Amino acid sequence: MSREVYYVDGLRTAFGRAGPKGAFWRTRADDMAVKVVRELLRRNPQLPPERIDDVAFAATAQVGDQGLTLGRDVALLAGLPETVPGFAVDRMCAGALTAVTAGAGEIALGAADVVLAGGVEHMGHHPMGEDVDFNPRFVAERLVDPSAVTMGATAENLHDRFPHLTKEDADAFAVRSQRRAAAAWANGVMRQTVVPMSVFTDEGWRVADRDEFLRPDTSMEGLAELRAPFRPGGRVTAGNSAGLTDGATACLLASGDAVEELGLEPQLRLVGFAFAGVEPELMGIGPIPATRRVLERHGLTLDDVGLFELNEPFAVQVLTWCDAFGVDPEDERLNPYGGAIACGHPLAATGIRLVAQLAYGFRERPEVRYGLTALCVGMGMGAAVLWERA
Amino acid sequence: MPETEFKLARAGDVALVTIDNGEDYTKPTFFGRTALASLDGVLDELERGDYAALVLTGKPFVFAAGADLNEFHGASAELARDGSRAGHDLFSRLAALPFPTVAAINGACLGGGLEIALHCDARTISSAVRHVASPEVFLGIVPAWGGTQLVPRLAGVEAAVKLIVLNPLRQNRLLDAAGAVELGLADRLLGPAEFVDESIAFALDLTSEMARGRTVLEADPAGVLRRASAQIDDTVHGAAPAPYRALDLIGGAASGWTLEEGYRAEEEAVAELLPGRHAQASLYAFDLVERRAKRRPPFVANAPVRRVEKVGIVGAGLMARQIATVVLRRLEVPIVLRDVSGEQVEEALAEIRGEVDRLAAKGRYDEGKAAFLQSIVTASTAYDGFAGCDLVLEAVFEELGVKKQVLAEVEELVSPECVLATNTSSLSITDMAADLRRPERVVGMHFFNPVALMPLLELVRAAETDEATFATAYEVGSRLRKRMIVVRDAPGFVVNRVLTRLTRVLMDALEHGNSAEETDEAILGLGMPMAPSVLLAMVGPRVANHVLETMHAAFPDRFPLSPTLANFTRGDEEIVVVEHAPRTVEEIRRDALEAVADEIHRLLEEGVAAEAADVDTALLLGAGWPFFLGGITKYLDQTGVSERLFAEPFHA
Repeated sequence: MSREVYYVDGLRTAFGRAGPKGAFWRTRADDMAVKVVRELLRRNPQLPPERIDDVAFAATAQVGDQGLTLGRDVALLAGLPETVPGFAVDRMCAGALTAVTAGAGEIALGAADVVLAGGVEHMGHHPMGEDVDFNPRFVAERLVDPSAVTMGATAENLHDRFPHLTKEDADAFAVRSQRRAAAAWANGVMRQTVVPMSVFTDEGWRVADRDEFLRPDTSMEGLAELRAPFRPGGRVTAGNSAGLTDGATACLLASGDAVEELGLEPQLRLVGFAFAGVEPELMGIGPIPATRRVLERHGLTLDDVGLFELNEPFAVQVLTWCDAFGVDPEDERLNPYGGAIACGHPLAATGIRLVAQLAYGFRERPEVRYGLTALCVGMGMGAAVLWERA
Repeated sequence: MPETEFKLARAGDVALVTIDNGEDYTKPTFFGRTALASLDGVLDELERGDYAALVLTGKPFVFAAGADLNEFHGASAELARDGSRAGHDLFSRLAALPFPTVAAINGACLGGGLEIALHCDARTISSAVRHVASPEVFLGIVPAWGGTQLVPRLAGVEAAVKLIVLNPLRQNRLLDAAGAVELGLADRLLGPAEFVDESIAFALDLTSEMARGRTVLEADPAGVLRRASAQIDDTVHGAAPAPYRALDLIGGAASGWTLEEGYRAEEEAVAELLPGRHAQASLYAFDLVERRAKRRPPFVANAPVRRVEKVGIVGAGLMARQIATVVLRRLEVPIVLRDVSGEQVEEALAEIRGEVDRLAAKGRYDEGKAAFLQSIVTASTAYDGFAGCDLVLEAVFEELGVKKQVLAEVEELVSPECVLATNTSSLSITDMAADLRRPERVVGMHFFNPVALMPLLELVRAAETDEATFATAYEVGSRLRKRMIVVRDAPGFVVNRVLTRLTRVLMDALEHGNSAEETDEAILGLGMPMAPSVLLAMVGPRVANHVLETMHAAFPDRFPLSPTLANFTRGDEEIVVVEHAPRTVEEIRRDALEAVADEIHRLLEEGVAAEAADVDTALLLGAGWPFFLGGITKYLDQTGVSERLFAEPFHA
């Protein structure tokens, strides 16, 4: 038994710089999640809130203002009826995508008709790896290379493994990401996918309505001067990677029956998805086997796919994927609105940003039938979700 | 105190202004000089700026709690007038901004906080807000940043009278968000989750014409004002000027004053009132009950506190029932009740459980919780279940022998750590504990009737009471949400000793040919809320006479027995005139005040109360004496009584 799963709508907060200077420093992560959930409901008034069968919310750090079984916590705080259940999801950077696939599974199996999936990460409140107690066996038994736990170090490892992917390639990709993001803020995609949120700050209330990592004037010359923090003489810099970010995302998924009954307007149909494991110290290559697996499973090739939304934690990470599939990094089908290098990467929230931008891309490109969202995951994983125009 | 600032941010075309003092919600924002200077600067920017709308809001959970009272103590007429003028000028500039302005009331909104909000074109309010008020009259002054002029114009005369005059006189009653909308103070009730976002959206939808120039017409403002004046008379009997003055200002607004005229009149009113004795005494009283009485005394803060998870109550009379109910509601622990009379036991149980039903009907408890609470109260004519009690409170008949016997019986049953508390209103606790094996665990917890409403608890330390016992009693008192004063064991403690001394003066006047009308007038003229004759009927002559007898036994000279009161206890209304030498009302009042002053002076000399502030706190919270008398010692100082009697004031 399997039923069709549709993506109806999705959106995010603006993404803020993690830390005391960021817009969200004094805003709670769960309040950010509440904001996107409420906006989603406001934008889809055909959906009676009591018809939501489950709320799946992802966070990597499931403590503090991201603790307490986030899906349920956020449902109650957002004012959903107490009859709506919820749960929390963690697959690090693929948290939001996993919330989507978990919800999709419920719908496909007929256990739910409508699922609200989301992700939030307040990296200012929860620095990566904080309070994590690594099992000493990892090191003692050489289960993983020690570099595997520092994401920037894994990106340096990618340059080592694929020496033809140079720092210049990575910097050029970063410049392009910033340019495309700047153009995207001038066109409609961000108006459609980003909801402004009032946030209390040391300067009083203000409205967070723009990503804080945007640097439209980024140049190759400027990038060349940046320090490589992960390794002396290294290639990975703040300019060609995504910064530490605060942000929240959410989307609505529904079965075909629910779409019809409630008059929802779906944008995408979920074709399939795959997760894959790779060497932890090369976690950036995770999307390659995940992409292969999902395409194979559905009898498609990459040529069938007209749009790619890939996460950009590090420029070199995207380049490995392009390299593997023979896609030109300048290809217009790839991250047409820029990516995480320009907007930031709030770990468990990012996946739904990719889906929301993919859906907008479909609108702008009527010829496209299939689209792919993919990202790599710490400790060596990849996630890929394949979509079709609804 | 942290300084309040107005912080301006731009959100698209909207000017977003935050009232913030950089602290969390436990330290509300107040308007002092710095805040007004900061507002001045922000208004300069706003007047120059190109905005589509303004949203004014507070830091999380607080909009603004009004003027900084610290600047009011000892204020001169000039300072009061200038402060009022400065607010009028600044707030008028806010009102004159050329784009729509919205106050987004996100939390506590009091006094000057409400007045700045009223100068905006419209107000949104978060449904979570529970503190909206104009408490100025409660403090002996009037709203003087436009409140008396704007509320009648925006919400009508009746609303203005309720908000500005009547609510402050009803123990400073507060409005919640829904109440504020209903009264016409706020235009739009919004949910708290996205309150600021939705307020911005509201502001962008607002056009100036929609909000400006509204005037609510009243069918009969004169009738409203007349009725209000009568209600003020009933409460303060002409003894406090502020409510009358506030009513005049509202009346002025209704009579067609321009705003300008109204603002000048507010300035004159506050210049007169703020330096005056009523306002200064009120500020003193406010500080006592709102700050001082909430601070935990250091010797309590450091002592070990025992867990109280089961409470025994001995007695099933009026006080015992009320105490049991309050303990059940606030502590939610099993309660065992014991009385010698089976009938009393049954009645008490029915009454306590009925009270829970009543609260459940009001939605305070759901059915299951109510049934649980009812199930954990048991009662018997034996001491069933007393063995496991952590606290036993006795409220049996006021007879030393009876109380000693009860305590001795309880001591046989309970653990050595169990705290034994007595609700005696006048007997010596030291005597009561004398024959016990462990007198150090006996403490006085003197509640006032009606227990659920009276905020005061006199916590009495007997000679041998140990620290843990006292700290435990204090902790229980806080959990019962009482404000406490600590007193040393002495007959009548504080409230009953002062009140009985006063009563004795009044009985003496009656016994020298004065009428009850005259003695009532003597006391009501001070602004006391209740006539002594009414109070005596409420307390019951038997109780009053019993306390007098106790006081007489301790201090026969100052507390002679009263044959008239003795008559009353027998239902005999006859006043025994021992000598026909009636006094004027003024003479009675003078004698009463001097007796009160003398008794307080003795309480302090004997160390029964540590400071005059403790006595005042007790009289404010335990006897309902008005703020504008400052308990009473502030008034005794202000009117020269203490100087005359003791050559020095209570407060240096």
